[in-house]
Amino acid sequence: MFSSSLSTSLPPKPYLSHPLSPSLHQPPFPHSRPPFPPSIRCGIRELRERIDIVKNTHKITEAMKLVAAARVRRAQEAVLNGRPFAETLVEVLHDINCRLRDDDVIVPLTDVRPVNSVALVVVTGDRGLCGGFNNAVLKKAEARIQQLHKLGLNCVVISVGKKGNAFFSRKGSVRVDRFVECGSFPTVKEAQIIADDVYSLFVTEEVDKVEIVYTKFVSLVKFDPVIQTLLPLTAKGEVRDVNGNCIDAIDDEYFRLTTKEGKLAVERDVAVREFATPPIMEFEQDPVQILDAMLPLYLNSQILRGLQESLASELAARMAAMSNATDNAVELKKNLSVAYNRERQAKITGEILEIVAGAEALIPVD
Amino acid sequence: MTLNLCVLTPNRIVWDSEVKEIILSTNSGQIGVLPNHAPIATAVDIGILRIRLNDQWVTMALMGGFARIGNNKITILVNDAEKSSDIDPEEAQQTLEIAEANLSKAEGKRQLIEANLSLRRARTRVEAINMLSQ
Repeated sequence: MFSSSLSTSLPPKPYLSHPLSPSLHQPPFPHSRPPFPPSIRCGIRELRERIDIVKNTHKITEAMKLVAAARVRRAQEAVLNGRPFAETLVEVLHDINCRLRDDDVIVPLTDVRPVNSVALVVVTGDRGLCGGFNNAVLKKAEARIQQLHKLGLNCVVISVGKKGNAFFSRKGSVRVDRFVECGSFPTVKEAQIIADDVYSLFVTEEVDKVEIVYTKFVSLVKFDPVIQTLLPLTAKGEVRDVNGNCIDAIDDEYFRLTTKEGKLAVERDVAVREFATPPIMEFEQDPVQILDAMLPLYLNSQILRGLQESLASELAARMAAMSNATDNAVELKKNLSVAYNRERQAKITGEILEIVAGAEALIPVD
Repeated sequence: MTLNLCVLTPNRIVWDSEVKEIILSTNSGQIGVLPNHAPIATAVDIGILRIRLNDQWVTMALMGGFARIGNNKITILVNDAEKSSDIDPEEAQQTLEIAEANLSKAEGKRQLIEANLSLRRARTRVEAINMLSQ
């Protein structure tokens, strides 16, 4: 006697079936539509196991969401800490640029020459479970590489982050100069390694243009991959290749020698340090030498800022993904519980009916 | 009259307080800065920065950058700065040896440039510790 005749006559879905259960249930009706909400057909024991699994998963995703939220805050603070450096640097650079505007200054890092080869620094994350974050960056980098190949330019990649490293080592069609892996937090040391690499590539004329592909952190829910030109450092202007065609990507951000406003929407305080510019500033060395010393600093701080913003975006993406996963887990648990209770009640009702029927059968017929 | 010294790196403020005197390594040699120094701007080489606070000297290893000396206000912007008290002597020595090995292995202009830079940095760190023990 099947107790399942009391429940609604729907067959178990194939992926839910316990290996032994097909013999216990009725033959499937392949064309019946499930009622709304779709009901889950499974044995009681399997349902109980599934509920436990979903409960555990829920705990994990919730914990990951909280951890990501805490780390986003730290990442934001790191970006803010880098602000005094960037502001002072820009101030002084601007000052020197004004004085040197009339002179003919040749500094290697501002050398605009016809482009044969481009280096691309691609910043990805180390771990997964962050929604479409890594994929978005890699797709953008991929598109850019195709674009450059179509223009007949060589391309070299410096990959930062385990996910990017795995992608490019599998790919093989693009030459990778160096794989860099940051720890949990990008520090000046990693930025220095990348900056050294980029610097030597540019100065030895192996490449003529360096771009960085990173994720710009606009707000906690909005972050987009962007391409920014690192070298050559020009105040404005486009970089052209041998044929005079402009090879900048569309929506490329130019390397601007201006201060940026607070880019993180959460905190918008612009702390202005009182710095009285002395009217007469003597240069201890040649202005060219001083510029030579400062531009690598600017390069470093730009790279570090790219890394930090990417990290903040990755954490925000992970937070959103884990939040969705937690909500899904709650809903799934609810559905499973409803199905479990239904099965349980059906079983109990079946047993009661058996007992009552049996008792009835024992009453002597008068 | 005391000098106000500010040492900034791209990710944090390393030093921000008043000092009596500093000795800075620049591309054109070492310069000492006392209160009421004339305003100058100078490039800073990979080297040691010594700070005097009340007859006590603090050493810091700087990894190249820029310094701006104003009206009793010094701003030093460097790629990286480490106080000698924060440097682990053994680790610094090991890094120096690795850098030397890399330099002898380096081939080609690019690798030479990189190897030279890391050697100079490692050497500065070791010097900072040695100077502290003097």
